[in-house]
Amino acid sequence: MKTYLLASLTVFLACCYVGGAFAADSGSGEMEMLVFPKAYKAKAVNNGGTISGVVTFEGDVPEMKVLEITKDQAICGATDKYDESLVVGEGNALKNTIVYLIDISAGKDFDKSTKLEIDQKDCKFSPHVQIVPLGVRVTMLNNDRVNHNVHIFSSINTPVNKQQTKNRKKMPLKAVKKAEGPVSVKCDIHGWMSAWIAYVPHPYFAVTNEKGEFTLEDVPAGDYKLGYWHEACGTNNKAPVAVTVAAGGTVTQDFTLKLK
Amino acid sequence: MKNRNVVSLLMLVFGILCVLTLAHAQNAPEASEKGKEVYENSCAHCHGTEGRGDGSAAENLLPKPRDFTRGLYKIRSTESGQLPTDQDLFDIITEGMPGSSMPGWETSLSADDRWEVVAYIKTFYDGFKESETSPRVISLEDKIPYSEESVEIGKGLYVDLGCVECHGNVGRGDGTSAPTLTDEWGFQTWPANLTQGWNYRGGADTEDIFKRFIGGLAGSPMPAFEGDSFLHFGLTAEESTRLSELENKDEMTAAEEEASEQFYEKMDAAVDVALNRAEGMELSAAEQQTYNNAMKVVYEKSWHLANYVKSLSPEKRPESAIGNNVLRSQYVQGALPAMDDAAWETLQSGYFPLVGQIVIEPRQFNPTIDSVNVKSFYNDKETAFLFTWDDRTNTVGDETDEATGKTLEDALAIQFPVKVPQGPTAPKPYFLWGGRLPVYLWHWKASAPEQVTELTAKGINNAEVQEAQGELHVQSAYTNGQYKLWVKRSLKTDDKKDLQLEPGVFVPIAFSAWDGANGDIDTKRVMTSWYTFVLEPVPSSRRFVYPPLIAILSLGLLFGLRAVVQRRNSEEVKNM
Ligand code: HEC
Ligand code: HEC
Repeated sequence: MKTYLLASLTVFLACCYVGGAFAADSGSGEMEMLVFPKAYKAKAVNNGGTISGVVTFEGDVPEMKVLEITKDQAICGATDKYDESLVVGEGNALKNTIVYLIDISAGKDFDKSTKLEIDQKDCKFSPHVQIVPLGVRVTMLNNDRVNHNVHIFSSINTPVNKQQTKNRKKMPLKAVKKAEGPVSVKCDIHGWMSAWIAYVPHPYFAVTNEKGEFTLEDVPAGDYKLGYWHEACGTNNKAPVAVTVAAGGTVTQDFTLKLK
Repeated sequence: MKNRNVVSLLMLVFGILCVLTLAHAQNAPEASEKGKEVYENSCAHCHGTEGRGDGSAAENLLPKPRDFTRGLYKIRSTESGQLPTDQDLFDIITEGMPGSSMPGWETSLSADDRWEVVAYIKTFYDGFKESETSPRVISLEDKIPYSEESVEIGKGLYVDLGCVECHGNVGRGDGTSAPTLTDEWGFQTWPANLTQGWNYRGGADTEDIFKRFIGGLAGSPMPAFEGDSFLHFGLTAEESTRLSELENKDEMTAAEEEASEQFYEKMDAAVDVALNRAEGMELSAAEQQTYNNAMKVVYEKSWHLANYVKSLSPEKRPESAIGNNVLRSQYVQGALPAMDDAAWETLQSGYFPLVGQIVIEPRQFNPTIDSVNVKSFYNDKETAFLFTWDDRTNTVGDETDEATGKTLEDALAIQFPVKVPQGPTAPKPYFLWGGRLPVYLWHWKASAPEQVTELTAKGINNAEVQEAQGELHVQSAYTNGQYKLWVKRSLKTDDKKDLQLEPGVFVPIAFSAWDGANGDIDTKRVMTSWYTFVLEPVPSSRRFVYPPLIAILSLGLLFGLRAVVQRRNSEEVKNM
């Protein structure tokens, strides 16, 4: 009895002793997201053009933070792990930037022959940014011989949080239906593990490589808005770049990004 | 003086709350919207008018009141990724969520009102409207009854499935991943202590446990353990054993290669069917059969695991150490048992529930330590106490508090009056570390685990280390999320500032505990009000004992606190 009285008193006092209002997050989240067309129609693309370019980072390049490995040292701690929210290479090349067409409504279909896999080797996700077409299952790999839990923080689709034990080398995840992202992917068991998935409705998305390069191919001739997303540098949703693609032509569009 | 301020502050807050409630009722524009009205009167100050979990009371609470706009519910009878049923929502509103500030509404809202409010909170998330089919419920058929064999199998699964990563070796929530867990909204979250089922949010019946890990706790870091999280999903038990054998071979014959290949194909097919089902595809009769066969094995294992988890906690929260359960130190002849002596097993513990200190700033609204358990022996010269308490982390002073720059560490303080009150109605010192009447304290810190410091205190911020430190013998240990502290002292000392002990006399006792990893420091701590303990007289001795009277007097912080505060105030008035 005493216990409950105490508990309820605690609760009650907890309700009473409150100062200041709770600072609610103002929906600034939208600006951090990719922008998708209302509808997309797959069709054959003949003599499409190409958009390519290099994304570079502007500003003092911070030293990459070494992540603190808090458990499973023998496997997870075998190699140093770095915070990959900002990976800047030679010539300030910016890796892991998504560059994409914002407003395309018809174009080529996905190439569904490539298997989509996210590896968790040595307790690190790779790739760090993965584009996943709607309706396609992505397979989580675990050759670590440690337990992972795959936690995908979707809010438009149903979030996923599913255990992948050390015995489960390949675990396909159910496909999703709604374009969304990028959404954060975590392993709660190894709290430092972090990656991003973008569920996309059309194939005109590219992720920059170590050299900061991206290429979008088979783009039907026309005028487009070119967008980007980067984990640490944000998006250009407010001012996407206009590009005009001629049939069979090539457009070069570079980007220089700063920390947001 | 301070206490009077607290009381008047409380009254003021009461008043404001009442006025606010009235104002609300008057302003409510659509009186016919019953659910909305119930929500705004009873829920909005925590869950927010828009259901975003940002009500005016939310700031100090952890876990935070649920944000209803995301459709994430922990306590469901439904599969992972599914919304709760209306009944789930009704039940959780009725029962409340122990271990959090979510109250149960069984007595304060009628069933009709609770149904209305269920309908209303669903409007905060469009997913409820959009889903055409009712959510898929986890089947509770073919429950495997509790037995030692079942518990034993479950124990193996607890490790193999990786519950141990978060919940720790024996389930105290001290797994190696525990310190880094955050919930969907980025707030720190601790894994449940599976040895304290009474703090489960969604009930501690075997069925409850079963549903929790199969469906997962949406919004928390605890994953779902769905079909193919289990080893060899799609194979029968025999096939799984056979495959494990094959997998362990250094070399396989061609026939064995083929056999294992077939097993893999069978597993892939089962996973494929399960994914089709999860993606909302209609299954053919044959596919449904494949799925059912695979799930039969998984559910069987799940019942074993649920039985194991069930076995970790007592059926009910132990009774507090009052009345018949008052802490009695047992007389032994000869030497007192050391910390790890088996003799301690023969004693019943006194259970002392701890609550957050919320009277004086800085306060602790979100305690992580449930209770202290205490046992004691004495002989003709000395007494020994064994204190145990669960703390998920062993914080030994290598972290600093951001606000104060002070070192965070785990600690325990045991409080006695300097002078034992003569009789049950005689005044005791103020329970928050004394006041005009001083208290005598044993202060133990994790950074100096072999030492207990004697303090004298005349208030929670007015403690002094005694100049003459008496001879206290101390042992301590931290294992699997639990502290053990053993303290031995002579019954009588020469120091006037010390407590003097005598068999048969009821002595007030109280506790404070600090969990460094939870930011506990100074007054931010968990504690008890006064309890009592007694050196149980040896049967032959005929002393005057005034038994449960004192115990009854100390009933309830609610009454205790008020009574003590009032008494103290009147004392102070008298003294002025
Ligand atoms: C004192 C603050 C408080 C009040 C008042 C309150 N709640 Fe809650 N409620 C909470 C907290 C805190 C949680 C989250 C607990 C957790 O996540 O462990 C919660 C969670 C819930 C949940 C989620 C259950 C689940 O399965 O995850 C529901 C539903 C809910 N509350 C409904 C209500 C309704 C309806 C009312 C009013 C009749 C109400 N609450 C009043 C604090 C409160
Ligand atoms: C990644 C860490 C993690 C893993 C792995 C994990 N849990 Fe949990 N578990 C948690 C957390 C965190 C909570 C507290 C959730 C909350 O209330 O916010 C919890 C809560 C619980 C609860 C209490 C539910 C309630 O009603 O409050 C049970 C029972 C439980 N877990 C069982 C298990 C079992 C069995 C397994 C293995 C099959 C497991 N957990 C694996 C993190 C984990």
